[in-house]
Amino acid sequence: MRARRESKLLVEPAAVATGDIAFNLIVFFLVCASTQPDSGRKQELPNSEKTKTVQKDLKNIELSLSRTNTVVSLNGDPIKTSELPVRLKRVLDEKQSPEERIVVVKSKGDVPYEHWINVTSMVQDVGGSITIQREEEQTVIVQ
Amino acid sequence: MKADVPAVAMGDIAFNLLIFFVILARAQDDSHVKWQPASAAKLERTSNSKVSVAISNENKLYLNGQELGQAQLANRVSELLGDSPSGERTVLFKVHKDATAMYYEPVIESISEAGGELLHVLNQDTSVAK
Repeated sequence: MRARRESKLLVEPAAVATGDIAFNLIVFFLVCASTQPDSGRKQELPNSEKTKTVQKDLKNIELSLSRTNTVVSLNGDPIKTSELPVRLKRVLDEKQSPEERIVVVKSKGDVPYEHWINVTSMVQDVGGSITIQREEEQTVIVQ
Repeated sequence: MKADVPAVAMGDIAFNLLIFFVILARAQDDSHVKWQPASAAKLERTSNSKVSVAISNENKLYLNGQELGQAQLANRVSELLGDSPSGERTVLFKVHKDATAMYYEPVIESISEAGGELLHVLNQDTSVAK
């Protein structure tokens, strides 16, 4: 009886299996890491050619951003960023066609991305489409 | 005399091969780019994308983990997207939260020019969601 018990306790997994276990663990963690999804926001920007045509015929809504993240300028009027969704929705409700609902976003060169994405997300949430108008680059030759 | 390779070595060989390919694959992704995502509410899960554009905390531009100049971006993105139909032209856009408009706006324009569908990679803003 005693001899039988002792033989049971001495059973060990084969050493060859440790390599396989390590291999399978790595594959498992690798698959977990590679399938970790990112989250984000889609943004549709109209083609620049289309925008130019629209700008000739219609008066677009203009939104100007500066480094100060608490204030934005809607059609030239400075307003609090927190008030933007309500004010912009009022303006957009008067517009009928998708072309009229284009909001031209003008940013100063020092506007942080976090502020920009916050404001453009607000525009999208109230049904506006965004287009970017960059400051013209000028080359000045000093003689 | 016959010398056999011990079976125990097979696991080690596989392990080393795997490490080799993992390191090789890591050289192609952009996990080495240092950036901190901005926060926003109402985010959606991103689908798999062939193209990832990143702007690091040092305002350097990366396409699929490789540093490049802004002037080359539109052509390179266009090449990578090829003739993919709409819905499969997603470009993951990873911008450091403090990067300024003079860096990210020309990049957005280039992606748009290349026909990419822009997807800003962001952090879920829990304070807004609640």
